[in-house]
Amino acid sequence: MRLAGDMPILPLFVASFVLAMCFVPHFSTIYNLRNCLLQSADLLIISCGLTFVVLNGGIDFSVTSVLALGSVVGAYIMALSPLAATPAWSIPAALAAMVGIGLLVGLVNGFAVVRLKMPSFVATLATQLIVMGLAVQFASKVSQTSSISGLPEAFFVLGGEGKYFLVPLLVALTVFAVSDWLLSRTIFGRRVYAVGVNPKVAFISGIPVRKTIVWLMVLSGCFAGIACIIATARNQVGMASLGDKLFLTTIASVIVGGTSTSGGSGGVRKTLVGVLFITVLNNALNLLGVGWYTSMIVIGGLIVLPACSSHLLNGRNSRR
Amino acid sequence: MRNILLQISNITKSFSGVSVLHGVNFDLRKGEVLGLVGENGAGKSTLMNIIGGVFPMDSGTMELAGETYLPKNPLVATGRGIAFIHQDLNLFSNLTVTENLFIGKFPHTALGGIDRKKMRLAALEYIKRFSLPVEPETVLGSLPAGIQQMVEISKSLMQKARILIFDEPTTSLSRKEKEDLFATIAELKEKGISIIYISHILEDIFRLCDRITILRDGRIIETRETSDFTEAALIQGMVGREMTGVFPSIEKEVLKSVLLEAKHIKWKDKVKDVSFAIRAGEIVGMYGLMGAGRTELARVLFGVEPIDEGEVVMNSRSYSRLNPGLCIGEGAAFITEDRHREGLLMTKSVDENLGLVKMSRLLNWAGVVDRKAVDTFNQFVIRNLRIKVADSRHQTVNALSGGNQQKVVFGKWTVNDPKILILDEPTKGVDVGAKLEIYSVIFNLAKGGSAVLFISSEIEELMGTCDRILVMKDGRISGEVAKPEFDQKRLLELALKNDN
Repeated sequence: MRLAGDMPILPLFVASFVLAMCFVPHFSTIYNLRNCLLQSADLLIISCGLTFVVLNGGIDFSVTSVLALGSVVGAYIMALSPLAATPAWSIPAALAAMVGIGLLVGLVNGFAVVRLKMPSFVATLATQLIVMGLAVQFASKVSQTSSISGLPEAFFVLGGEGKYFLVPLLVALTVFAVSDWLLSRTIFGRRVYAVGVNPKVAFISGIPVRKTIVWLMVLSGCFAGIACIIATARNQVGMASLGDKLFLTTIASVIVGGTSTSGGSGGVRKTLVGVLFITVLNNALNLLGVGWYTSMIVIGGLIVLPACSSHLLNGRNSRR
Repeated sequence: MRNILLQISNITKSFSGVSVLHGVNFDLRKGEVLGLVGENGAGKSTLMNIIGGVFPMDSGTMELAGETYLPKNPLVATGRGIAFIHQDLNLFSNLTVTENLFIGKFPHTALGGIDRKKMRLAALEYIKRFSLPVEPETVLGSLPAGIQQMVEISKSLMQKARILIFDEPTTSLSRKEKEDLFATIAELKEKGISIIYISHILEDIFRLCDRITILRDGRIIETRETSDFTEAALIQGMVGREMTGVFPSIEKEVLKSVLLEAKHIKWKDKVKDVSFAIRAGEIVGMYGLMGAGRTELARVLFGVEPIDEGEVVMNSRSYSRLNPGLCIGEGAAFITEDRHREGLLMTKSVDENLGLVKMSRLLNWAGVVDRKAVDTFNQFVIRNLRIKVADSRHQTVNALSGGNQQKVVFGKWTVNDPKILILDEPTKGVDVGAKLEIYSVIFNLAKGGSAVLFISSEIEELMGTCDRILVMKDGRISGEVAKPEFDQKRLLELALKNDN
């Protein structure tokens, strides 16, 4: 009962999964399920990062721009740069660049929020636009086409090519496990929740509020960098449009999962369920021949759901 | 006998079982200025809120101009001609003067849009009539405090106010603005408007008021013509609260070493050159009226606000810049005045709140939270402070009583084993039984060698718990009284009187 009350989305996910298994043609095939999992890997990684920011009552719009810039810069290093000839050098360099871009964007966001006292909504919107613009400019400078192909074969392992399909899943689960551990077991996690509920109380209790916020933004950026690696490897090209449709799905996963946008309650376990649910839903609707725009309507409806269910739950049981 | 505009008979009011007003009677005559004085917590605000329709009274009657007056809400009060001029103004600083004057009843056009032209003309007329030195389009927030107050007064006169209630109107005004306000009050009086003037500044009360009413412990002590009062008599009437509280008798010893010292602390215009020192085992009270700068001082001492000038010395180390983390490192703890907004995460569990302050003691070798140690520790704190909670892991603090909430605030600091305690109104909103328990906690901490700064507006609790009491007035320490000389009248005099 507590589990269900805590995660109103869990029974819904299970129900929709079972329904899809029974009634949606081709859903239950190994090939499709594998696809679902692969697609959810990068979504889970970004959503975990975003969960930290949302727990603080903030938002990070810039994650998808990290995907864009990371993808083109990483692809450039692996396919076009002087390093490209030796994959043993170019792949690690590209990976470092992708995570590094995330780290840098996160630092800028953190600085803007903490020092310039900008709301994260505004600060990350600005970095999103700037970094996205940079990505498109960079891509058009280094290559005539909109995407950079010719990446080394070894890199595709990270995208789950062929028999390596567990690799991205393991990366995603590791990111998830680390996030969960950070939130539930470490002082940092306690600080995230405290600052998210009431930064003033946190400050007076001696919690370094500003440092905590910078760390959140950096984590979100770095996770976006890791997701960028996996998404680029899966698509096998570097392109600035990599994360175009991803942002809505990411924020939807976090919110549908049950992390409150007002900060301080929720966590990555909820986000995991949110990610799985949205992935299954998207996939099933897709198999049923329903277009992307219809799934958007459904996901929109789902975002309202936690509010409705918590309203109902509160009506019945005022303690939680 | 001049005609009576407002007659109040036998009003009683209690909040959650605590009686605040016990049968208050008074009358307000047409065109007079009635001063209302009393200590913090005497019931002045409650009484005014009842007149203004903010809360209902429990029993009693009010008559306004001979008719029964029973305001259901503040709107009714405004409609019957009673207006409040609050300490913090009831205006919108982001809107223009005109918009503020007409807020709530904008003139509108046939289409439903605001008739700006009509509004502007009407505003101009009012501005002229009340000779306000403003333009109708000026954004209110850009005006000085005194002018904003004039706008508020004009607004209430537009609504045909017959009674104006001023609650500490001069706190944010300059000397010049204050003179202007007094001139306005004199004019209002000429026009036959009645005024209730609440203030801690006795000098102003004597200057402005025709009659003075003293309220103490929810009772009217006396109402007399101003000329019949002396300042001493007024203070005598305000004090004399009965010492009914019981205080724990715990033997403790004041040691030699000074743990907390303030040296010439200044902060904005609220704290002006404050110095004192507190020894290990000593409980030092700090009394003062609202706005004396005590809370601001406490916040500066704990690094919540920056130290503008001066130094704080903790454990013989001097600091001219502080933050809460640093203070916690020195073994200091701070119980804020507002536990809801600054002390607790109201929507989180008792355990989470107890774990707010850095728990370096509760980490395992890898720097990870040792859950077992945390649980054991929380259970220890809950037992030790006798926090009444059934399931500390899941029960959120907003479901606890005020006293238990405050104990959780104490509990969150005990992890740090505090040696310097800064307590700002630690028994505010706490029932009598829990107060006694909180006094015991404070005594025990002092007995264990902590230095305690105990800020309170209740003279009696300070007299019952402290080794000496400092009094603050207008950002300065206006006096100090040692335990053998504790005397309510002396303390109140220090809090009220002008030195010049």
